[in-house]
Amino acid sequence: MSEHTSDRPTTPSRRGLLFGGALAAAGTLAAACTGNDPKETTPAAQTGNLGGGDNAKPGRPVTIGFSAPAADHGWIAAITKNAQAEAKRYSDLTFKPVEPTNDINQQISAVESLISAKVNALVLLPNDGEQLNQVARKAMDAGIPVINLDRVFPDKLSYRTWIGGDNYGMGVAAGHHVGRRLKEKGVAKPVIVEVQGIATLPLTQERSKGFADALKTYGFSVTAKQDAKFTVETGNQVASNLLQAHKKIDALWNHDDDQGVGVLAAVKQAGRKDFFMVGGAGSANAMREIKSGGVLEATVTYSPTMAASAVRVARLIAQGKGMADLMELQVPQSLTLTSETVTRQNVDQYLPLGFES
Amino acid sequence: MTAGDTDLKTAAVPKAPRVRREVHHIGLVAALVLLALVGVVTEPDNFATSGNVAGILALAATIGVITVGMTFVIIGGGIDLSVGALMALASVWATTLATQSYGPVVMVVCALLVGTGAGLVNGLLIAYGRLVPFIATLAMLVAARGLAQRMSDRKTQLVRPENDAIEALSTTKVLGLPLVVFIFAAVAAAGWVLLNRTTFGRRTFAVGGNPEAARLAGIDVRRHTLMSYALSGLCCGVAAIIIMARTTTGSSTHGDLYELDAIAAVIIGGTLLTGGRGTLAGSILGVLVFTLITNLFILNGLQTSDQLIAKGAIIVVAVLLQRRGLRAPT
Amino acid sequence: MGQYNGDPPVLLRMRGIVKRFPGVRALDGVDLDVRPGEVHCLLGQNGAGKSTLIKVLAGAHRPDEGEITFGGEPFAPATPTAAMRAGIATIYQELDLVDGLSVTDNVFLGHERSRLGFTRREEGDRRARELLARLGHGEIPPRREAGRLPAAGRQVVSMARALSHEARLIVMDEPSAALAHDEVDNLFRIIRELTREGVAVVYISHRLAEIREIGDRVTVLKDGRTVARDLPARTTPTNEIVALMTGRDIEHAFPDRPAPDAFDDRPEVLRVEGLTLPGSFEDVSFAVRAGEIVGLAGLVGSGRSEILETVYGARRATAGRVLIDGRPVRPGSPGAAVRRGMGLAPEERKSQALLLDQSVAANMSMAGLDRYSAFGWLNRRRERADVRAQIAALDIRPPDPDRPVATLSGGNQQKVVLARWLLGDRRLLVLDEPTRGVDVGARAELYGVVRELAARGIGVLLVSSEVPEVLGLADRVLVVREGRIVHEGDARGLDEPAVLNLIMEGSAL
Repeated sequence: MSEHTSDRPTTPSRRGLLFGGALAAAGTLAAACTGNDPKETTPAAQTGNLGGGDNAKPGRPVTIGFSAPAADHGWIAAITKNAQAEAKRYSDLTFKPVEPTNDINQQISAVESLISAKVNALVLLPNDGEQLNQVARKAMDAGIPVINLDRVFPDKLSYRTWIGGDNYGMGVAAGHHVGRRLKEKGVAKPVIVEVQGIATLPLTQERSKGFADALKTYGFSVTAKQDAKFTVETGNQVASNLLQAHKKIDALWNHDDDQGVGVLAAVKQAGRKDFFMVGGAGSANAMREIKSGGVLEATVTYSPTMAASAVRVARLIAQGKGMADLMELQVPQSLTLTSETVTRQNVDQYLPLGFES
Repeated sequence: MTAGDTDLKTAAVPKAPRVRREVHHIGLVAALVLLALVGVVTEPDNFATSGNVAGILALAATIGVITVGMTFVIIGGGIDLSVGALMALASVWATTLATQSYGPVVMVVCALLVGTGAGLVNGLLIAYGRLVPFIATLAMLVAARGLAQRMSDRKTQLVRPENDAIEALSTTKVLGLPLVVFIFAAVAAAGWVLLNRTTFGRRTFAVGGNPEAARLAGIDVRRHTLMSYALSGLCCGVAAIIIMARTTTGSSTHGDLYELDAIAAVIIGGTLLTGGRGTLAGSILGVLVFTLITNLFILNGLQTSDQLIAKGAIIVVAVLLQRRGLRAPT
Repeated sequence: MGQYNGDPPVLLRMRGIVKRFPGVRALDGVDLDVRPGEVHCLLGQNGAGKSTLIKVLAGAHRPDEGEITFGGEPFAPATPTAAMRAGIATIYQELDLVDGLSVTDNVFLGHERSRLGFTRREEGDRRARELLARLGHGEIPPRREAGRLPAAGRQVVSMARALSHEARLIVMDEPSAALAHDEVDNLFRIIRELTREGVAVVYISHRLAEIREIGDRVTVLKDGRTVARDLPARTTPTNEIVALMTGRDIEHAFPDRPAPDAFDDRPEVLRVEGLTLPGSFEDVSFAVRAGEIVGLAGLVGSGRSEILETVYGARRATAGRVLIDGRPVRPGSPGAAVRRGMGLAPEERKSQALLLDQSVAANMSMAGLDRYSAFGWLNRRRERADVRAQIAALDIRPPDPDRPVATLSGGNQQKVVLARWLLGDRRLLVLDEPTRGVDVGARAELYGVVRELAARGIGVLLVSSEVPEVLGLADRVLVVREGRIVHEGDARGLDEPAVLNLIMEGSAL
């Protein structure tokens, strides 16, 4: 890597860059040169527990198809990465991912191609549950069990098992942490501020509702909330303004650790130390912040490890096995992950599960 | 002969456009004052504080610097849709582990070079490849975002602690204002001088106002076009440094839809989208108006969606006023 | 002048038309009578109100005072469409065709042949073909894109549109300006055809010869007022018409020339050797000496403008070379031409020379900014001083450097273009149609300026489609026909018929 200095590969210095195609090619090259961390980060799922019984032992060989949106966000990137890493662990499993895309039509045709390839099971994180429902149903009708990841299909006939996070529960977890800490401190009328994700999404609304409901049990309520767009930059922008709007804050919940990087930068730039902050989703970066003991005190998980679990479950379903720790012979119809609260006390335990944003 | 038209114009517009421009700026300044008044009335404790003013200026810095470059491109008769993507690319390139290992100075140089380089590619495609600016920079937008995603592996790249000199641009304050505000001010001042006091600026107006006339007057229109896109790219590089300082990250998601914000600011600042006429001061005022609106809405706890509606309305009103200013009152 | 008795009834009658714009009365009492089947010519200098009058007739402006009757009915159209429906069609100088639409679509633009919102293409094409045939141009395919037609064809389409409205009066604003010689003949044939059917034509042109050929009666406007009405087009003496338009004679319009042998010992500033641009001109060689004005005469399409543009570097020759002061100039680069001391006043002043939005000062200095800058930094005080000096020297009016150049008259705009080159040291000025769009009075002034520049030792290369202009202004004349120089000689030894003969026939004198 050392030979690739950073200031060298600027575009104009290369003759080939006169034209767009060449630009893209050189870009690829440059990206490869100046790429990121040379060490592969440890896939989070590998450190999880390996399941009980003898389910992990090789069984009937199965092929599992996988389709997810293109990553424009650390969480989605972690989903694909976790699924891939998990699949590698089984010698009896052939993993067949399709090109990730943010285009509904492309995802539909990608899933159709998996159906005609006759995979044994399908792990599907749809761009939009409503719009992908039809094609998921088609897979089920063709006898391919669909493991629906996170964004739920409206029609239960469209999936065999749903596995996903609990947005409402995330808000509840954050609310309880905030409520408890403020009670401990004995703050009477706390100023509680919330930095949301994209406000129009149902998941954001559920998170906010859970947060408000939990706070209510302590007799507290949210003073102000503002929506960002899940990006660092919007997080920074919204937080900067919110900090101006409220001279005194007791607690701040930020829905998303990715945008949280921007929120933390804004807090630091404003020089504010009067409150504590709770994050959301559980990125590795957030966990490192928690460990170092800054303003970010906790984060509530919405873990992309669910993708690894989904692959695991898909394999079991395709092989006709159940979950070893349950009485039932088959995998349950729905699995809702609980939102766990990561604090300084338990952060070491969670760090390996945190995703790189 | 269209002498009749000419003479009618003479009659209808007896004063030089300079006067109208000033009137237009008065309109923008009035809008700023009005917004400030709203701020003082609705949030007396929070709005008119030095901290909030510094905050507004710091928020305006990234888009403001980009708007300076955009103003040159638009007055020169072009458009640059790639600005947000170039800023993202520059921020990503400057924050790769490899770049970061050389320290903050190299990171800054890297961001500037990446921005300028991509701007030069835009300029080459447009001036010498004869691509329509809209298409060339649209292609650059898509390609630069893609490249940024590939380089960053779609992750948010943190500025490492040993390079916290970058963040210091945002945390260090002089006279109560963070350094990034001074960067913004310096770029704006340099842009104003370049546009109004140099041959480059004069030729920008000529090339944008009538490229054929400029060519026949002996101006190297293509080289000038190339330079103006490179300048816009350079501004994107500067903006990337500011965004790195503010968010402590480089990311392919930075600068999303900045191209539209910058174009909107330039337009409400009174610059003709067809080129040949405009002012830098107007563009900067346009940026401040937009930033102030965001600030006011958040101070008052209003939703993003309402901000968007207000911004849309302001664009329309500004352009309507502008048109009334340009046309004869018949 | 009134000679209505016994004449056919008046089709269009305008009385006391006044149209005010803020600060000016564009029309200040215009009277006009047009009879069915006549070609009524409208004459007047620039700014006399012709364009405003046309817009009133077309329904684009509403007059503030006065009355108009058309076919005996009061005529007050609210929109251009209403005027068309009433039977008045206007063919603007800059043809208002939609380039991307077919001929048929253009003919029926705004009143498409349609049923239930679907255009009926077959019927439209058939009707368009009929109209085109009536205009003697049945060969124009109705489905052809209008933008692909030559100028003459586009004009025919415009006329077909007028006919499609069953127009009883067609207003033509300088219809011959964009046409070559034989195309003008065809235009006249069409006009005669139309008038035979009883259609009246209001014909606007600066070319007196055309008016004599096609016109029946003439109305002269000056300063927004009718100064003479219903003059016989063929017999009214030219000097009377010019006197009515200007209040002065055009004699002595051209400045005095130095003696024919005055240039013999002057150095050559420009030398052109074997210049060739296939399809335009071939093997063109000539020279211009310091202080000499050399005129190129020829038809549109003869290659005269192309020669000029190639000398200037706006086009690139395939063979031959251009030398300034004996040293070759890099071909195909106006920038190089300018650095070597050339300057151009192009044919289309507004689209090729001026920044209409910008001030007089900015327009003047744009080619010579380097003179006022050190390391890119402009010395605006020196720039302004020079601009003011040029404004005074060329008597540009109003003498305000900050005025937008768009608000100046054509003649003053042309002076700004000339002044642009005079800010620096010029060896050669290249003038393409220098008096296009310049009114008669201002022309004489411009001629004086050009001669004065030559007297300073600048060589001048001139192209004009007006032969008298070339003969009157130039010292030496080159006649261009079909891309070759067919005659070269002292201007005083030629007269207009001789040059026309050379241009058109190429036969000896």
